[in-house]
Amino acid sequence: MATRHVIVGGGTAGLNAVQTIREHERGESEIVLVSAERPYSRMVLPYYLGRSIAESHVFTATPARLAQLQVQAHIGRRATSLDTAANRLTLDDGTVIEYDDLLIATGSSPVRAPVPGADGPGVHSFWTLEQARGVVAQIREGGHVVLVGAGFIAFTILNAIRALRARLTILEIAPQILPRMIDGTGAGIVEGWLRRHEVAIRTGAALTTIEEEHGRRRLRFREGEDLLADVVIMATGIRTNLEWLNGSGVHVRRGILVDDHLRSNVPNVYAAGDVAEGRDLVTGETAVHAIEPTAMEHGRVVGANMAGRNVGYRGSLLMNIVEVCHLDIASLGAWDDPTAEAFALARPDRWAYRKLLWRGDRLVGAMILGMANDIWTTNDVGMLKGLVQTGNGLGAWKGHLCRNLFGIKQAFIASGTTARLLPETLLGQPSVAPGQVL
Amino acid sequence: MKLLRIIPERCTGCMRCELACSYVQTGAFQPARSVIRVSPFETHTSFAPYTCTQCAEGWCMTACPVDAITISPVGAKVVLDDQCVGCKLCTIACPYGTIFYNPQTQKAFKCNLCDGDPACAKACPTFAIEYVEAEPADWLEAFAAGRSSRHLEAASAGAEAR
Repeated sequence: MATRHVIVGGGTAGLNAVQTIREHERGESEIVLVSAERPYSRMVLPYYLGRSIAESHVFTATPARLAQLQVQAHIGRRATSLDTAANRLTLDDGTVIEYDDLLIATGSSPVRAPVPGADGPGVHSFWTLEQARGVVAQIREGGHVVLVGAGFIAFTILNAIRALRARLTILEIAPQILPRMIDGTGAGIVEGWLRRHEVAIRTGAALTTIEEEHGRRRLRFREGEDLLADVVIMATGIRTNLEWLNGSGVHVRRGILVDDHLRSNVPNVYAAGDVAEGRDLVTGETAVHAIEPTAMEHGRVVGANMAGRNVGYRGSLLMNIVEVCHLDIASLGAWDDPTAEAFALARPDRWAYRKLLWRGDRLVGAMILGMANDIWTTNDVGMLKGLVQTGNGLGAWKGHLCRNLFGIKQAFIASGTTARLLPETLLGQPSVAPGQVL
Repeated sequence: MKLLRIIPERCTGCMRCELACSYVQTGAFQPARSVIRVSPFETHTSFAPYTCTQCAEGWCMTACPVDAITISPVGAKVVLDDQCVGCKLCTIACPYGTIFYNPQTQKAFKCNLCDGDPACAKACPTFAIEYVEAEPADWLEAFAAGRSSRHLEAASAGAEAR
């Protein structure tokens, strides 16, 4: 009988696993995909919100494509329990699926601030396509949108809200915006930039209640004036979708603890993406990296291993990049490691800032800010990633870079980082172009 | 496949490759939009053009959340403009730093080998850029390292003196 691979979750990790299995096994195995939603890319929902792309653009695998990949798809179904002793998965409609191996890639869900009214009308999350549709239907030109939470997700939809010509206020309970992406100095520059672009910001804002008031929402705070909003969007964090694994025997810590092949403690059960707690490339410790690139890499490694390859994974690199009002903001690796040696340079006149973090002569993290049209300030973000990814020892270049934080290019080239990168592939072979599998 | 072989010893820093690249790629002479970029070494006495190696992994291609980067008939990783939403993920995922974002078009852009007729190679008056059958290689390390050591020593001596 053909091997049956069961993929639970149709997001980035799950779909990359499906395509990689087919890339390596062609049509020899059975693939069953269980996905609560029709597969789409969460990364591009902000562009749908801003109406720069049509809704049809967000989908990553059409039913025809899934059929072409010979995937038996259970779309609209959720997994409810896993019996790892019997290799059986149960779905919410009672369907039982037996598997030879299984991937858990059920992702995350948004969490709202625990205040009265947070689940009331006019208060939205922006995480799923369905939620995006809800927000798209509500935002009006001149209306007042209040974003609760000033993290990465909130920042990805900031441009879209402005493109819809709504007034925007961003609230953050922490003392600074983007607390998990940039440091206080960087946050100060970004806040100044956003205020200049007529985005109101309130940091240290402790929301206490949201009340309905003549079709609008009144937000009350522990301190400071109330706000009246037409639309409230909660971007106050996410939690991994793992409750359904209770009693399954799969070991869960912050996420499902996986080895360097992305296997859980149950050898034929893998985990990938937001639910996986795997190796961090820079620290060597385990971490949950709930970001698109990690979901992609995890999914591909799992797919190759399910297809019988023996692919070890070096670990995922934390990285985020977002542009707000034509200001680029990016951080990667150990950008906030207080034990690393840090060198920073701010150029507020150019809205530029960067910080490089070191262990010895190796770059372990970086944070950069700069205007998107100022190629001097942000065009080397990929090289910074390459230096962190390779861990290339920079020798005398370190001293040079600590004095010339914008001189990355010469250091990158002269240190032979390209030579170190060229043999690197995720799966030990050249990548296949999308759509060229089968 | 054929790719761009760089022979930095021949580069004079004339920037014609950047002008030609930006003109063919964007229709305007604007080095800031060139995807081959000449780096100076030893305080602008040596120069080396640097561009995409069309690497085996294709970090930009695999990172793209909407499959907007593919492999062209000549083997180049290329951006499909009608698919790209401008999310910039490729620009941080590419560890070579050779894919960029164009604020005017709001799309990513990179070397596409000019569909098999690279303008940079044709424009180079000293044959420092050749379009030939070759394996991807680090064409610049030895050149750049050799031309950096004295500069680095001088800079670090200066820093210590301060």
